[in-house]
Amino acid sequence: MKGLQIAIQSTALKNGLRVVVAPDNNAPVVTVGVYYKIGFRLEPKGRSGFAHLFEHMMFQGSANAPKMQHIKLINSSGGVLNGSTQYDVTNYYEAVPSNALERVLWLEADRMRALKVDDENLKNQRDVVKEEVRVNVLNQPYGGFPWLDMPPVAFRNWANSHNFYGDFADLDAANLVDVQEFFKTYYVPNNAVLLMLGDVKADEGIALAEKYFGNIPAGAAPPFGDPGEPEQKEERRGHVEEKFGTLPAMAIGYTMPARRTKDWCAMALLDQALHGGRAGRMHRELVLEKQIAVEADGGIDDIFGYNGPTQMTTRILHKPEISSEATLAAFDAVIGQVRENGVSADELEQLKVKWRSDYYATLEGGRGGYMPKYGLMHLLACFTLFDNEPQLVNSILDGFLAVTREEIQAVAKKYLVPEKRAIVFRTPVSADAKEAA
Amino acid sequence: MATRTVEILTGVPALAAERSVSWPKRTKAKLANGLEVVLAESHTIPKFHGELFFRSGNAAVSDRAPGLAEMTATMLRTGTTKRSSRQIEEDLRRLGAALSSSAGQDNSAIAFTGLSEFAAPLLELVNELARDAAFPEGEFERERRQKLEEVKLERTQPGFLAGERLRKVLFGAHPYAQVSPSEEQVAAYKKEELEKVYREFYTPENALLVMVGDFDSAAMMKTVEKVFGAWSGKKPPAKIAAQPANPRGRKVYLVNVPEAVQAQVLVGCHSITRKHPDWVKLGLTNSLYGGAFNSRLVMNIREDKGYTYSPRSGVHPLRELGFFSVSAAVRNDVVAASLTEIFYEMDKLRSVPVPEAELADAQNYVSGVFSMGLATQDGLLSQFSTVALYELPDDYLETYRAKVRAVKPADLLASARKYFDAANMQIVVVGNRAQIEEQAALFGDVEFYDNAGKRSAS
Repeated sequence: MKGLQIAIQSTALKNGLRVVVAPDNNAPVVTVGVYYKIGFRLEPKGRSGFAHLFEHMMFQGSANAPKMQHIKLINSSGGVLNGSTQYDVTNYYEAVPSNALERVLWLEADRMRALKVDDENLKNQRDVVKEEVRVNVLNQPYGGFPWLDMPPVAFRNWANSHNFYGDFADLDAANLVDVQEFFKTYYVPNNAVLLMLGDVKADEGIALAEKYFGNIPAGAAPPFGDPGEPEQKEERRGHVEEKFGTLPAMAIGYTMPARRTKDWCAMALLDQALHGGRAGRMHRELVLEKQIAVEADGGIDDIFGYNGPTQMTTRILHKPEISSEATLAAFDAVIGQVRENGVSADELEQLKVKWRSDYYATLEGGRGGYMPKYGLMHLLACFTLFDNEPQLVNSILDGFLAVTREEIQAVAKKYLVPEKRAIVFRTPVSADAKEAA
Repeated sequence: MATRTVEILTGVPALAAERSVSWPKRTKAKLANGLEVVLAESHTIPKFHGELFFRSGNAAVSDRAPGLAEMTATMLRTGTTKRSSRQIEEDLRRLGAALSSSAGQDNSAIAFTGLSEFAAPLLELVNELARDAAFPEGEFERERRQKLEEVKLERTQPGFLAGERLRKVLFGAHPYAQVSPSEEQVAAYKKEELEKVYREFYTPENALLVMVGDFDSAAMMKTVEKVFGAWSGKKPPAKIAAQPANPRGRKVYLVNVPEAVQAQVLVGCHSITRKHPDWVKLGLTNSLYGGAFNSRLVMNIREDKGYTYSPRSGVHPLRELGFFSVSAAVRNDVVAASLTEIFYEMDKLRSVPVPEAELADAQNYVSGVFSMGLATQDGLLSQFSTVALYELPDDYLETYRAKVRAVKPADLLASARKYFDAANMQIVVVGNRAQIEEQAALFGDVEFYDNAGKRSAS
């Protein structure tokens, strides 16, 4: 087995900004990311969707780069940019020819230092976000299923259970005071990490970080809400109507063990056994063999990228002539199998090879074919913000490769139990489906 | 934005000197059986990416049934004469591999990626899928049912409905008009038809293998020869396709989805293929119009007016023909306003030369993004495949940036006039008819369709 070691240098500036550089001069391209440790989970109550709306505002203008200039400066340097709001982080990233590195750092520093936006910008982006929600959720078959449907069923703490994309009334209520307040509270250098990956030397990267970000004043340590959940002791169920699609669907989510425990590693391999594509037990049993379902997939979404309660979720679209109860029984039979028998030695060996291969792909992989090193950036950022240990990127694989058959069966028995799960049924309202029912 | 004053930035660092871009060396061969091979090394991770292409796709058999090549590709992994479906999936996992088989209009392909340490057994498996697929009866019935559900689901997606209608309008009797089969057509698929397509398409004379990754090219070439060398088979005869429709005058096609809460707008016309001498010029014109985040259209209808989240324009090259399209999912009450801006920005490019500075920005963008493909194995694979499949010159990648730099404002004006054929643009709108019909009708005579693709009375 050939190992893979990523060269990394990291430091922290006096204002608390963490800096991670991963040099690799293979291509004349550098990827820059700034991650803030705040996502939609801990956005203010009564302001659902605000963290994401705020992310849009970060492209609307800063002290020295007014509206349109962020996008224009990056594109006209030959680069691409984007941002995303996730559970526990919000990221901003650019990939540019490496001769534009200083320009990117200047821009990111400018918007970390001072956001400069007005009411017109806010109204404009509120409209854009509403169309985003429509195109991704409200006007699509199975839109938001299950990522928006599951939280209100599964969780009891508002932090975990609210609408992360935002109720339109909450988006309408958001004002400029909220924007500046959120910025002052969470967008401080001591709550962020700056990453540079690709065609940059380590010392040079750190010197440039100091040059552009060094004099941004630190802020107070952000007060974080408590994302903790009361212990779940009963199965939870919910129902959502499907407006466009004709197949009945369900999602079953089990609460995951805590991050970076032995159980967490074992669950990751178990997830691979259950949801690893066409070889995974769910797809094999429900789609290929019993032919109850048209789709049966899912799993742990972004295992390294969350820092609070989460689930392993199976998403099933089944044939209309099969009842929900029969589908759930078939699902339960797959779960029962791993609880009773675990996985074979040969299966575990396959799972580990695939896990290792997928991990390498994450390290190398871009995003949507246009953002080189997105995967490595994401892991380094999360390992820095959540674990204060970017070097984990070179060692974390070991824990997964050490998992035993006994451990897999043990976590199946401990976590895959009805009282630790939630089920969402998404049921078509269309005439077509009613006929078949 | 024309309506806003341009604010001057102070303190923006200048760009440093550009590092030269060098594409990895390609090792090429044509095996005795006709298989073309392109290999390139990229040692970023201990893995590799590959794709085995066949230069025939759905268009070549659309006279038999739409989507036949795609269904054939789907069946490959469900069993060979040596391995069952389950064995194939488990073997892939054992090799740390991922594989997909699919077909577009012009090509069929088996794409794969895996750990370098298991390259030979993965190639053996790919070889088996390409030569010894068994088309098991039970697997066929299941995959057909899966396909039926897939084509039903497509008809609930606004983006699909818009694209399907535009293709039918632009291409008419030409095979490129067929985007997807109907439920009835899928139900009528026969296993024997798929096996016939398989025998005709999946031959070494019709194939191209491209691989990029962590391997030694000379050693990999030997492995490729060993694995694929004994394969034989002729290239299928070329077919003459029917002439495409080429609709004159603007017309509106409204696909009614009563439950829709947003309108999907798609506007398009015929365009060129990648081999056309105007390709680079048109690419730049498109980038500046609506192909980039800071393009005129995105700045206008998203950043200035907030009508939409993701407006985009693109030139879509197929092997024989191309088409240009502009898409935006917009609020119901701004369908007319969005179309007005889409045409305004088009007409402006057709009448007013682009300022030098704006052209320079677009040149930087197009040439910079082109080089991003260098950074990953699959990015390289995609570029090398494009060159080989479209039979572009050997130095295409190396000379592309210089060609982009050579474009002048007059070229953009000429491209826009020639290819942004505003007077003959076809307009598709998918949404709730009651809320958008009056707005759509402002732009031309309207034909109405339902989500099954059937024309309904006005």
